[in-house]
Amino acid sequence: MTATLSRRQFVKTGGALFVGFGLVGRNVFDASAAAAGSRNSLDAALASSWFEIHADNTMVLRTGKVDFGQTTAHTAYKQIVAEELNVPFEAITSVVMGDTDRTPDGGFSAGFLEYGGTNLRKAAAYTYQALLDLAAAKLGVAKSALTVQDGIVSGGGKKISYGELVKGQELNLTIPVTGDLTSMFGLTVTGDPPMKPTRDYKIIGQSYQNSVTPSKVSAKETWVTDVRLPGMLHGRVVHPKTLGSTLVKVADLNKSRYPNAQLIVKGNLVGVVAPTEWEAIGAAQQVAADTQWSDWKGLPGNPDLHRWLREEADWKTTPPAKGEKNKGDAVSARSAAVKSLTTSYELPFMKHAPIGPTVAVGDARADGTFYIHTHNQNPQALRGQIAMMLGTPIDNVVVRIYSGPGHYGRSNGGNAGAEDEAILLSQAVKKPVRVQWMRPEDLQWSTSSPPAVSNIRIGWDASGKITAYEADHYMPAMQDDRLVGALLAKLPTPPAPEASAPAGSLGSTVNAIQDPWIYERVPNVAETGYGTFQIGQKASPLGIGLRDHSMRTPGQLQQNFPRELAISEAAAQAGIDAIEFRLRQSDDARLRGVLTAVRDASGWQTRPSPSPRAAANGGTPVTGQGVSAMLRSGTYWACVCQVSVTPSSGKVKVDKYTIAVDPGIVVNPLQLKRTIEGGALMGLSHALYEEMTFDQSSITSRDWRSYPILTMDDVPEIKVVILPHPEVGAYGGGSEAANALAVSAIAAAFYDATGKIARRLPLKSAYVQSVLKA
Amino acid sequence: MPGIAFTINGSRREVQAPGDTPLLYVLRNDLELSGPQFGCGLSQCGACSVLVDGKEERSCTLPVSRVGGKEVTTLEGLPGRWAGQHGLAVASVALHPVQQAWIDEQVPQCGFCQNGMMIKAAELLEQTPAPTLPQIKNAFMTGASPHLCRCGSYAAILEAVQHASMLIARQKGTQQ
Repeated sequence: MTATLSRRQFVKTGGALFVGFGLVGRNVFDASAAAAGSRNSLDAALASSWFEIHADNTMVLRTGKVDFGQTTAHTAYKQIVAEELNVPFEAITSVVMGDTDRTPDGGFSAGFLEYGGTNLRKAAAYTYQALLDLAAAKLGVAKSALTVQDGIVSGGGKKISYGELVKGQELNLTIPVTGDLTSMFGLTVTGDPPMKPTRDYKIIGQSYQNSVTPSKVSAKETWVTDVRLPGMLHGRVVHPKTLGSTLVKVADLNKSRYPNAQLIVKGNLVGVVAPTEWEAIGAAQQVAADTQWSDWKGLPGNPDLHRWLREEADWKTTPPAKGEKNKGDAVSARSAAVKSLTTSYELPFMKHAPIGPTVAVGDARADGTFYIHTHNQNPQALRGQIAMMLGTPIDNVVVRIYSGPGHYGRSNGGNAGAEDEAILLSQAVKKPVRVQWMRPEDLQWSTSSPPAVSNIRIGWDASGKITAYEADHYMPAMQDDRLVGALLAKLPTPPAPEASAPAGSLGSTVNAIQDPWIYERVPNVAETGYGTFQIGQKASPLGIGLRDHSMRTPGQLQQNFPRELAISEAAAQAGIDAIEFRLRQSDDARLRGVLTAVRDASGWQTRPSPSPRAAANGGTPVTGQGVSAMLRSGTYWACVCQVSVTPSSGKVKVDKYTIAVDPGIVVNPLQLKRTIEGGALMGLSHALYEEMTFDQSSITSRDWRSYPILTMDDVPEIKVVILPHPEVGAYGGGSEAANALAVSAIAAAFYDATGKIARRLPLKSAYVQSVLKA
Repeated sequence: MPGIAFTINGSRREVQAPGDTPLLYVLRNDLELSGPQFGCGLSQCGACSVLVDGKEERSCTLPVSRVGGKEVTTLEGLPGRWAGQHGLAVASVALHPVQQAWIDEQVPQCGFCQNGMMIKAAELLEQTPAPTLPQIKNAFMTGASPHLCRCGSYAAILEAVQHASMLIARQKGTQQ
């Protein structure tokens, strides 16, 4: 990001924690209220930017992170702050999320506990110390003699509430922060304030309910889909014929059929606006049908994808990435090994596929400011990108955030899809414009999770101890944060992923080792990641092609699937039970803990694979079991899947999914369980159904028939085992991993059931039948 | 343009819209109801579901002209529908048992699909107040397409429908 905060003026809160209600809450339907809000930024150095304490001891919490359904901002964040400040959970009556003029820190909405959670914990800890200082002076009691319970400070026989304490007071406090607000990572709170010992936790560890759920289930929530501004027009964009087509001749708008519609053309960006949504849709369809685009064929097509990746992609320009745990001489050790395995694995492109297509309202105002109302995982980064696109100072851009469909990483770099198009159309017609992508556009013009090829080589000794592990992972770049509307309109964007990434971004083609090595008893390890450019991007006259973005367990799924499946294959060849084989490779108590817990909870049969009853033909279902393990964001995971395969039909069904998780400190067991269940089912969906299809020109997955996902019919018995280890002292992440673990466990279970190994996903009937006949 | 009149959440309304306009756009843009969501516009996901004369329909493809004279219930209207069916004052029912169960079981992740899930659950429980697990699973496979949840809240939905069934049985017991 080259745009900078050129003339940042901070909201004047004077350092006091008591500020008016005017900054809080949102009322987008009232233009004067929006105008009264600042068009600038909050100063993250001020405690009042993070927390607002009212006279009645209730509080507002502000975070630049946006909750996408993990419930973290509405449960875990409140718990973390309430715990550090010694206030009841219920005292935090409001959470302001994401709005760029109303929250302090920015950054992506992912790794909620690791990043945003740590920021809030430290900001709260600094504030707590400042409150104690204030109380000591006010009460005339030494700070060390003060105690706090439920937001009431006591000492020397005297008491005062936080609300009374901060009323009209200045806090002598600067919260130290570092970073760039509109970068991928936002601001980070630094330093080491004294923090509450984890043994004293009373609020963290409790199963609080999500305070947003009642409004979501009773239709009282203001969703992104509900934003309506005065004078707003409905917009639709006519996207090009292919991912590389340029505009030859735009169609005339049929004004007799669509009398109130307007056509807007800017470069290759073709848009239609109208007062009603139905007229905008009709007009866009009419224009799309008659507009001429150039032809383009620059993609390999998905049937040829993995051959193309192996033989034609450029893996040489990008520097290879080495695993942090690489050690010894894996090549020599493997050639000396008693037995060894050399295999190769393939994963397809997958779509994030939010259940609602991207939608945004752009409001280019007469005063030169630009308001964007959206649902986005990185509002500050979006703000920077929009400012860059429009050539305006960042201060002129405000992004407001609402609830919406889960994005699973697609917008964590600031680009959900419709925002830039909405503001460009608004700028053209000088009215607010709501751009809603239709279902096909949301699958065909969004970014995707990149495909991968991995070559794995494992050697082991007579005792079943792995002596050498080598992995070569190949994957195109996975973090394209360019705005597609800006590309079409030929306006400035951040760079496409290149071999060397600009500072503060993740946008390089380097394929880092994302899956931490967990089998530390293995003496020789050589993991290498090879990266390349996005497929078709450089060849596309639009610079578009197949754009990629991190998804849920980015890169780690692509590396964990081959690793864990290969280790299960090695265990089978060694004639050793797959859990026992893993236990032999590690002394790590936390890894061993989740593996033994999942073994005990799942009804695992301790025996080598394949099953003694394995069969690769016939119409009778055969059953099998598979295991996988992972370390992600400080959390240890292990999962067991039990599956049934009907060889004659090629139908794979997951009967039971059991998962054990050790995140260290468990913040909210109920919400953790629900999030894990969701991730588990997304993983089943990946394993059984998901593959983005494309031809030489376009993505051909365009609806839920051509990109099927899991349905209720496929839901297995799910068992979640949570293993709290508060002595670890950190909150490990809990919303990512369950999906990635499922895919290798299911593939291993398929092998156990049939004796045949499927080394790519998804396990659809035709592929399964070809594997079983091989 | 002649108006199209129908009953929406217990009130009779007349709307001015081309008859081929999908009901969803009329509900959201003209009647300012925010329960039904635009998910696909193709009757393939269920995010837009409403009850039309008690039957779950996809409002994203249903022309508004087809609901003339009919009774449409959206998520907003579920408490009133429950009140009307049980002889209760509308004001005394804040949540349909399905909505209460969705809160008790903490079902939503992002929650965007849950409108259709709750509409489908309400339809099921009106017909079958004590469904078996296979009956519940099957219900979400019926209608124009299976009801889709991208966050994978299906397991929570199954628990919540069972919980709603229990709440309904308990309320009926109280009334007797």
